[in-house]
Amino acid sequence: MIVKLKVNGEIRSADVSPETTLLKLLREHLNLTGAKLGCDVGDCGTCTVIVDGKSVNSCLMLAGRASGREVTTIEGLASSEQLHPLQETFEELGALQCGFCGPGMIISAKALLDKNPEPTVFEVRDALSGNLCRCTGYTKIIEAVLDAGRIMSTAEAKS
Amino acid sequence: MATKTKEVLESKVKDSEIEDLTAPDNLKVPAKPALKPVVVPVDKPVVYPLDLPESEIRLRTPAVGQRASRPDGRLHGLGQTQYIDDMTFPHMIFAKILRSEHAHAKILSIDTSEAETMPGVLATLTGAEIPVNSFGPTLQDQPVLANEIVRHAGDGVAAVAALTEQQASDALSKIKVKYKPLPAVFDPLEAIKDDAPKVHAPRSNIYASKTIKKGDVEKALKKSDQVFHKQFKTQMVEHVPLEPHSSVAMWDANGRVTIYSSLGRITLGRDDLARTLGKPMNKIRLVGTIVGGNFGGKNEITTEPILAILSKKTGRPVKGTFTRGDEFISSTTRHPFVMDYTTGVKKDGQILGRKIRLVLDGGSYCSWTSTTLGKGGILAAGPYDIANLLVEAHAVYTNKTTTGAMRGFGAPQVCFAYESHMDDMAHALGIDPLEMRLRNAFNEGSVSPTGQLLQSVAIKESLQQAAERFGWKESTK
Amino acid sequence: MKKRGRGMACMWYPIGFTVAANPSAATVKVNTDGTATLLTGTVETGQGALTVLGQIAAEALGIATDDVHVVSADTDTTPMDTGAIASRTTYVTGNAVIKAAEQAREILFEAAAPMLNVKPEQLEARDRKIQVLGFPQQYKTIGEVAHHSEIVIGRPAIGSGSYNPPTVEMDPETGQGKPFSTYVYATQIADVEVDDETGEVEVLRIVAAHDCGTPINPMLVEGQIQGGISMGVGFALQEEILFKDGKQVNPNLTNYIMPTSLDMPELEVEMVDNYDPTGPFGAKGAGEPTAVPTAAAIMNAIYDAVGVRITSLPATSEKVLSAILEQKAA
Ligand code: FES
Ligand code: FES
Repeated sequence: MIVKLKVNGEIRSADVSPETTLLKLLREHLNLTGAKLGCDVGDCGTCTVIVDGKSVNSCLMLAGRASGREVTTIEGLASSEQLHPLQETFEELGALQCGFCGPGMIISAKALLDKNPEPTVFEVRDALSGNLCRCTGYTKIIEAVLDAGRIMSTAEAKS
Repeated sequence: MATKTKEVLESKVKDSEIEDLTAPDNLKVPAKPALKPVVVPVDKPVVYPLDLPESEIRLRTPAVGQRASRPDGRLHGLGQTQYIDDMTFPHMIFAKILRSEHAHAKILSIDTSEAETMPGVLATLTGAEIPVNSFGPTLQDQPVLANEIVRHAGDGVAAVAALTEQQASDALSKIKVKYKPLPAVFDPLEAIKDDAPKVHAPRSNIYASKTIKKGDVEKALKKSDQVFHKQFKTQMVEHVPLEPHSSVAMWDANGRVTIYSSLGRITLGRDDLARTLGKPMNKIRLVGTIVGGNFGGKNEITTEPILAILSKKTGRPVKGTFTRGDEFISSTTRHPFVMDYTTGVKKDGQILGRKIRLVLDGGSYCSWTSTTLGKGGILAAGPYDIANLLVEAHAVYTNKTTTGAMRGFGAPQVCFAYESHMDDMAHALGIDPLEMRLRNAFNEGSVSPTGQLLQSVAIKESLQQAAERFGWKESTK
Repeated sequence: MKKRGRGMACMWYPIGFTVAANPSAATVKVNTDGTATLLTGTVETGQGALTVLGQIAAEALGIATDDVHVVSADTDTTPMDTGAIASRTTYVTGNAVIKAAEQAREILFEAAAPMLNVKPEQLEARDRKIQVLGFPQQYKTIGEVAHHSEIVIGRPAIGSGSYNPPTVEMDPETGQGKPFSTYVYATQIADVEVDDETGEVEVLRIVAAHDCGTPINPMLVEGQIQGGISMGVGFALQEEILFKDGKQVNPNLTNYIMPTSLDMPELEVEMVDNYDPTGPFGAKGAGEPTAVPTAAAIMNAIYDAVGVRITSLPATSEKVLSAILEQKAA
């Protein structure tokens, strides 16, 4: 079946078998390997992408169900000139170690900050609770999200 | 790194549809290929941004002591770090491994013939075809693929390589393995008994022991004002790296094999590959990338020799990535410990003597057990000056998941015991836990349980610093 | 009712393998502009090893972190390394990197000595310069010297070195010997809340003070400590592979519970000031020990809160509750 969707602002399409997940579509058909496969059953969050403004586990969503929707993956955050504030603060604070959870973590954080640029620590913890990280103890990740939120809200206030 | 492989592979399949009418049935492509991407031109660059200024901290001298950001950190955040499973190569195929459901059984036969006729299957493999079918960092007691006896539910018994992962998984169910179940043992304290089923018959289940002796512990216990005893136990724990084990193997026409692997130690990984494949080391190239979490669990080969042989059989790059389930049942885990502590103290809290018995659940194969036993034994008495000491540590085989290296090699287990024990004694003697520790802790120049003169000791400083930061004195209830 | 408690645990932990040889080798190549490349056979497994090794090479050459590019993990091109195991990379591979960098630096000193009219022993490498000891205004940039050495003299500044921690075999009967070159020390203190009606344990705060010798990169050491504690929290309260008839019952992340962002306490992490003369620039290591004392500290805090001694891990709420009930009955 043909799936046509908007990925990171561009219309993409692929012919996939019906059981193909959105994660598989992204990784294997569209060569967007930023979203990772950590468990394939919705437990770890490494495959998180944003679909129509909401963060979802792309391993649980069939590609067909994403048809006609707007998907943002980690590859869609930076431009040629600039990192996303989350990517900046994650890098600066050394928030990631092995990095495998990173794309999913940053996408979940983006989904939060897009709605709530000044979250409390608890709101950050809550928003990231579906994204497992085995390396960092989440401490620097939470700091980086709070910092990025501050950068984003000041930028907004200025514009 | 080629990233277009999937397309290449698919178009290859399509070509064969037209040309190769004589292909065996299983390789005939289904009328409607399952996966056929429509390639859309993409304007967006794949690597970006290209010219950001470097962070100022990375430009400072002196370099040591700087909170310098890591170059891989940016790639992580962009999703541009290439882990093994992100790599694709032209004509790459996929391997899956069939695992034993039995905890202990004799393999009577393995029949892969039906699996070989399944759609997309290009090759199968059993242990009998592996040149040297054993590995392990200390004892080479673990088969790459079991072909005589399975010793835990999770032992690999056969492998399949197919055009897609799904086809490889589907074919696994067509492999017929006949088992004769054998009596199994799961509890290390049972396994230690003489009449317990032998995991590696005829060898004893106790496969490694360590003794540390200092002074006269019996005399010290007699001289003590009070003697405390307690048994502590810990559980089996999985490393849970977020990245499951993954490797890709491929050959070149000079007979060299290149393996990209999520291994954390490539020099010894190559040694193991040379041994299992029966090839000179200079014919093997092992390449690591950024490992997506290791914690000790990616310190020895797993599927690499299997992929290498399947790659040779098929003349194609072969990728093998663990499912989360494989990760749990077939990779190594943390050793459960049974720990008996007996400690004699003076009224003022000074420890006079300590006797410890450790039994490690070594699981089905040795792996890094000897190291865990050694470190666990040496560290078991804690960072304390104890003149009279006896540590006896034993590792035993059980028919459970293999236990191996995991962050701390037995230290978290023994620390749980010696520090719980410490508090029990402090409470019984009416001494503040901080005080109790300071009274016994090592000093610069203390002699360790193995008789080593210690230097660069900072245990008391760490106790005081942590207590200060916590507000230990002020927070007394 | 929720009851508060606090508990401490300290530990010691060795760097490197137990007695067995575990060498590392390294190669440092100084480019003609004064930047450098480090070749190491270790593998980055997330801990930041390559960044730390690059900082060590940079320090030895007197250049900045960003001046050193690190190439790793390819058996065709990088020197042998025992690998990312046993908290050994900073100490063992770090010492090898220093040896390699010193060899390359020696070539630079020999090239610079006649340029500055001094003996090589009178030189030091600092702030991207080769300068005369005690007379920092007399210098050549490291780039000038490297260029001169390679292009004019014909001696490229390349060095290789290896290191293996010195140990002494342990006596098989008594275990006496010197199994490791050095050890690190640490204390963690946990503040917990235990619900004595449900047995549920919440870790509110953990304070950690770790000795790792000189922290080569304090930010990365903090990351190790925070990550190690999260593993310790899982070991203490949640994680357990369960078996039935020898088969795992929970081989998935639905039923094998590990810490999420909601389970992590507030962490306060400190490094203990220490310098090990046998380590690279005084450094020891930080990987594994961070996960060692956490569970013990939490168990002691549970005891402090509700007076029950948990003797088998993990301290699930069922286990804690049944210990509380048992104690009440007694
Ligand atoms: S891969 Fe999707 S949640 Fe784990
Ligand atoms: S950084 Fe390794 S899992 Fe999060």
